[in-house]
Amino acid sequence: MVGDTWWVNSSTGRTPICTATARFRQILAESGRAAISLVDVTKHFDGSLTTAVDGLSFEVATGEIVALVGPSGCGKTTTLKMINRLVEPTSGTIMVLGADQGSLPAHELRRSIGYVIQQIGLFPHRTVRRNIGVVPELIGWDRERIDARCDELADLVGLERDLLDRYPAALSGGQQQRAGVARALAADPPILLMDEPYSAVDPIVRARLQDDLLALQDTVHKTIVIVTHDIDEAIKLADRVAVMNVGGILEQFATPDELLDAPANEFVASFLGRERGLRRLALRKVADVTPIAGPSVTPGASLSAALSVMDDFATTWVAVAEAEVLHGWLSRETVEGALDPGDPGSTVGDLPLRPFGSRVSPTTPLREALDVIVNAHSRMAVVIERDGDRDRYLGMITIDEVAGGLES
Amino acid sequence: MIADERRSLIWWAWVGDHLDDIWQRTVEHVQIALIAIVVGCLLSFVLSVIAVRFRWTFKPITRVGSILYTIPSLALFGLLIPFTGLGLLTAEIALVSYTIFILVSNTVAGLDAVPAAVKDAADAMGYTWWRRLLTVEFPLALPTVIAGLRIASVTVIGLVTVAALIGNGGYGALINDGLQRSFPTPIVIGSVLSVAFALLVDGLLALALWALTPWRRHA
Repeated sequence: MVGDTWWVNSSTGRTPICTATARFRQILAESGRAAISLVDVTKHFDGSLTTAVDGLSFEVATGEIVALVGPSGCGKTTTLKMINRLVEPTSGTIMVLGADQGSLPAHELRRSIGYVIQQIGLFPHRTVRRNIGVVPELIGWDRERIDARCDELADLVGLERDLLDRYPAALSGGQQQRAGVARALAADPPILLMDEPYSAVDPIVRARLQDDLLALQDTVHKTIVIVTHDIDEAIKLADRVAVMNVGGILEQFATPDELLDAPANEFVASFLGRERGLRRLALRKVADVTPIAGPSVTPGASLSAALSVMDDFATTWVAVAEAEVLHGWLSRETVEGALDPGDPGSTVGDLPLRPFGSRVSPTTPLREALDVIVNAHSRMAVVIERDGDRDRYLGMITIDEVAGGLES
Repeated sequence: MIADERRSLIWWAWVGDHLDDIWQRTVEHVQIALIAIVVGCLLSFVLSVIAVRFRWTFKPITRVGSILYTIPSLALFGLLIPFTGLGLLTAEIALVSYTIFILVSNTVAGLDAVPAAVKDAADAMGYTWWRRLLTVEFPLALPTVIAGLRIASVTVIGLVTVAALIGNGGYGALINDGLQRSFPTPIVIGSVLSVAFALLVDGLLALALWALTPWRRHA
């Protein structure tokens, strides 16, 4: 831990706390205190004509994931490396956990900051277990505690324990990446820095590792700074995204949603690409929009009532549903074919119902829901929530509802 | 009869009579060689660390090392005798200077070949410079370091025979004796044992490398 006195604002005033317990981290997360802050940081490499990072200032709140994105040469990796002093800034101040990080020997500062890089950089001459245990070993844990921690971390990052006693060369790229994350987390550092951690693995493994990181973050609540050139990765992982331009200029620092909704300038807009709307949809879920009832009747409705609902909605089909139960749908042809003027008492429930193919759940991202809708003949999707072992029908969504999701 | 046997390549009866003498020469040879190798290793390690830490020193160090390496051994003894006289010190100075070029070049090459990502990771995990060098870089450089050590050892063991010319014993003393008396047996015995010793050390170092680098076997 970087140790100065920690203060928390509470109802009884400012309270000093000195130990890094889990509860303490949670308080910090809630108080929103910046874990990392850069104040007017500039980096000029000797012999280089251009400035790598130019007057950069931003803060990373405790427990937050911040992505640094930008084209090559924008200084994002240099910025990351200045946080743990792998690169020393030419001028400016970097505060880590409230203390000027220059006040501590670099190697001690680094032991409290996890670091994951693209090339992973596992030590080839040490078993995976001894790789993961590197920082605990440096700070003097005993062998037994390190071994127990390695087992725990292997489970946490999804690495089979059998692999712990192999050498890194025997692991696949994805497994090495998991080992790299486990190593970074070994001494439970409050901060994790990740430099293009997933660029070297194939897209399928990458997507899974990203999902795993988000799931992991729900457990570990680290302050994470991740460097990536992939805007989709930034949008998917980060709470806030810092878009940087060549020469180390911060163009915009905002939540993914704000960024996509209102890019600060032409550069940010072009970096975000043409599919900004679709990318924003990927951030929202079906649960964020209000489903409509749509052309729908109860099983007890008469056939003529069903026809008039279809007329009202100008559709050739009608859903049969009651309360939270979706029974299926009927086509106009079926209803008209069954219509018998001599027997006005028959109901839609008596007819053979067909099941809906275009289903989404409240957790489906809107981008995916849109795909379901445009592929459905009915141009809509039914929203079904799996509740225990039964399905709850919540209503329907159409393109209108999806588009409306971007307005909120 | 005896004259014929003296002239043959090897006269076993002489060997049997002179086992004590041969053993004595073996002890001398091993001592002279091992001192040179151990001192050469220590000195080269220090020089390699300096060369890696202060990059500008690498060229001057290897330049001097390579000049020493090219001086014929007899000439080097000759150059040293006015300062250090006849004897062990002169021999060791010469022998050690032959190891430096090979050992420093190989050690620095081995350290340079450690992947940058591994060094970065070590720094980022909070290794101090020394700890990184000794526990990460040096183990990974071992294959190259030991390859250099094998060449240096074999070279030194061969050159120890020349050191007999300035009165240091070893197998060279047997060879000199044979040459002066036109008596092949000690020449053959001295040469064969010297070669055998070189091969033994070479093999032991290969084995040591195998034992010290388990990760290269389980990839």
